[in-house]
Amino acid sequence: MTTTYRPGQPIWCSGCGHYGVQGALKYALTALNISACDTMILSGIGCSGTMQNNLGTYGYHTMHGRVLPTATGTALANPDLTVIAAGGDGDGYAIGAGHFVHALKRNPSLVYIVMNNGTYGLTKGQDSPTKNGPKWAPAEEGFDAMMLGLSIASSSFLARGFSGDPKQLNSLMVKALEHARSGKGLALLEVMSPCVTYNDTYPEWDAMTRDVKTQDSYDSNDKATAFATCIRMKQSGQIPTGIIYQGEHPTLESAMVNPKLNKMSKLVKNNSGCQGELDAILNGYRI
Amino acid sequence: MNKYSTDVKSVVKKDNTPLACDDITVVTAGQGGDGSVTVITLLAWALAQRGLHLFSANDIASRIKGGHAAAALRSSRNYRGCLGDNVDILVAFDGEAIEKNGQYLGAESVVIYDTSRGPLPKKFIPDTTRIIEIPFSRFSVRELRRDLFKNCLGFGVLARVMGLSDEEAHASIRHRFKRLTAENIKPNIQALELGFEFAAGHKILTKEEAQSDHGLYKLPHLEREDRIMISGNDATAFGFLAAGGRFFAGYPITPATDIMNWLEKRLPAFGGVVIQGEDELAAINMAIGAALSGAKAMTASSGPGIALMQESVGHCGSAEIPLVIVDCQRAGPSTGMPTKLEQNDLGMLTQGSNGDFPHIVLSPGSPQECFDYGVLATNLSQAAQCPVYIALDGLCQFTYTIPAFDLGDVKIDNGKRLTDEQLAKMSEYQRYAITEDGISPFAVPGQPGGMNLVTGNERNPWGLVSTDPVNRVAMMDKRARKIESVKHQLPIGYIWGDDNAKVGVICMGMIGDVLTEASERLAEKNIAVRCHRPRTLWPILDDTIEFVRECERVYVVECNDSGQLARLIKGAGAPADKIESILQYDGLFMRPGSLVNAILEKEKAL
Ligand SMILES: Cc1ncc(C[n+]2csc(CCOP(=O)(O)OP(=O)(O)O)c2C)c(N)n1
Ligand code: SF4
Ligand SMILES: [Mg+2]
Repeated sequence: MTTTYRPGQPIWCSGCGHYGVQGALKYALTALNISACDTMILSGIGCSGTMQNNLGTYGYHTMHGRVLPTATGTALANPDLTVIAAGGDGDGYAIGAGHFVHALKRNPSLVYIVMNNGTYGLTKGQDSPTKNGPKWAPAEEGFDAMMLGLSIASSSFLARGFSGDPKQLNSLMVKALEHARSGKGLALLEVMSPCVTYNDTYPEWDAMTRDVKTQDSYDSNDKATAFATCIRMKQSGQIPTGIIYQGEHPTLESAMVNPKLNKMSKLVKNNSGCQGELDAILNGYRI
Repeated sequence: MNKYSTDVKSVVKKDNTPLACDDITVVTAGQGGDGSVTVITLLAWALAQRGLHLFSANDIASRIKGGHAAAALRSSRNYRGCLGDNVDILVAFDGEAIEKNGQYLGAESVVIYDTSRGPLPKKFIPDTTRIIEIPFSRFSVRELRRDLFKNCLGFGVLARVMGLSDEEAHASIRHRFKRLTAENIKPNIQALELGFEFAAGHKILTKEEAQSDHGLYKLPHLEREDRIMISGNDATAFGFLAAGGRFFAGYPITPATDIMNWLEKRLPAFGGVVIQGEDELAAINMAIGAALSGAKAMTASSGPGIALMQESVGHCGSAEIPLVIVDCQRAGPSTGMPTKLEQNDLGMLTQGSNGDFPHIVLSPGSPQECFDYGVLATNLSQAAQCPVYIALDGLCQFTYTIPAFDLGDVKIDNGKRLTDEQLAKMSEYQRYAITEDGISPFAVPGQPGGMNLVTGNERNPWGLVSTDPVNRVAMMDKRARKIESVKHQLPIGYIWGDDNAKVGVICMGMIGDVLTEASERLAEKNIAVRCHRPRTLWPILDDTIEFVRECERVYVVECNDSGQLARLIKGAGAPADKIESILQYDGLFMRPGSLVNAILEKEKAL
């Protein structure tokens, strides 16, 4: 047996919501019996961007905001991997917001976990895009990723959990992994994950979070009613959680990757397998 | 009497011997969509069949239809990789074409002018120019009901002027439109023959000259070699593919988009993927994600896009991620002149991004080198696990005839990529193991027992973040050693000219072939020069410094405003007092004649 790195210890402040997220991920990886060597966890930059160190899998610490395009590249290059992208709300919804929209549009089969704490933890507490009434622009409303996700036609899995509700979170994490691993597309799981040091919202969010299942005739397969219900819940001061939407839509890799031909991640030593095709290209240039 | 001859004005040629011609440049110009490029393509094929060397450059505004567009073709007995000083034949579809290209016409040049859009603006051309005025467009519409066919019509006239045979012209049309049905090729052939008729009815050509295989020029018939005609962009993309490159992510930008288009057409058949990102940040990071999973990956862009990618390039250098990045340099700063050429990103390519990190910048000077460095960059990125730039300039868009690539010669280097068996035999696996050559064994996700952490933060050999000062120094030194370890693979400068000359000239990329021609002409004026074209721009290699040391004085010729290459060479230790810059930054092609003049002026001023 080859010895590999010893998984790191979390570096978060005690009580940080991110512990709950890591716990749920660990739970789900174990519950689904996913081997560490087939798992690639890619993280953003932030306090949230350290989870990849702690679980013994392949891990990659991307640049701030770039976790989604990187994870997309990984998923395309080797669709057999379980690809998990994880980052903060600043990482995903501010500097990485452009990628966020396009990843939902493309629908690659991977899990994207966003740890939403309404703040930039690592840089010491500046307001993040999800904060209502940030300091510099008090009139600004916080960004809601579920609402955005619902508005994108090709989104296929939108869920929200809360670090303070591990039972629900564990189950959402399992479902998200199942969605991506069965090749159904991007599983977005936003976790309300309080920053106890700069924005301690535990009590507030404990009171506000409410599973959409509790709403009359909620249909998580129907974007229109999901949208309407979530707006109404927000208007009455609630944060909708649970499976906000789960449906079917063709994935990025289904259109782009030919599983029979794709050996991209395999070690290829020479062109013996494709000499004829290369010759044909050269022929096209003969004059 | 030809039925169209009344419409045709002409200047009578002075004597009737056809001009023996070993080197002839034809330019076609008009509005985008006029078919300038088609005429050149038709001509290129016909001349290639005669065994002539070809060089072609298009100058096209970024829009498809509209905007001024020109295409130039130089054909010669000897290889020439640039435009000459003069245009011998100008086929102009409008007055603007004359206005823009008139300055390049020589005393004996011929202008074939489409009068459909107005009279020829004579003030832009020399008095001695031989003029053939024909309303191509009007005739094309009148006879063939489509403006579109005026390009074949123009080609017909051109073929007669250049002394091609009917069979040569026909064969070229058949070849160009080989995918069309016989029915659809017909109007093109009709247009060609109309062109023949116009030429025959035109007083500029005598009855004899206006026959098949006659004309104003007499071009040689040479022995045909096994050649291809290819652009720098295509050759670079081809090299990447041949080296096992399978993942490409990009974002449209002139003049790099060709590479994305080329690979998009071909990679899927090889099990590869081409994806267009939402911006250059997405493009390069998608490529990084693929590279980390073991795919050989590349992105390509031009100045503004490469600027956006800078953080990621430094990250690859730090995190030790193999990646190929092509920069098709264009005139900056900022959006600059998107369709004009320059060699102006050297600062960004060599010193861009934050911090010190290992990387390599290759600078090809011909399509053969584009192909070779497409292969080499892919191999080096794997061998040294770092970003490798290919710095292209105008040569990305120029097309050249060259001997066909030897595909059997391509070697694939996987560097220290571990097989599952190798990995299983290791007692421990560290992604950033400190090694003598600085290169650490590389396991990719999916390999049992290879679990590792990749990060752009400073880290210990296990990949865990560390700011320990001893570790920091060890890691920086390890990464720097990688370049030393692959240095023997980096292409040294190409040297030519007079070994004994005191005057040295240094240039890069597309200027190499301009300098070749300039140095031949200087030799005729008894000015001997030695020439050097560095082919690795980062790091600058010792032979370049040595070259400067050996010369009494050195002119560094480049297309930018501040002497970026000269600065690099000086910075690498070449004696600064020996170096003088010759710069061009007007966005135009550098011509051998203007380079000769620039060197002569400098020499006179001594
Ligand atoms: C390009 C770039 N800009 C800024 C930073 C500094 N930075 C590091 S983390 C961070 C914000 C992190 O916030 P979030 O993503 O919400 O993660 P959290 O720490 O709250 O978990 C910033 C701005 C950086 N690393 N890179
Ligand atoms: S600063 Fe906030 S987000 Fe960061 S570890 Fe501490 S509690 Fe968590
Ligand atoms: Mg945050």
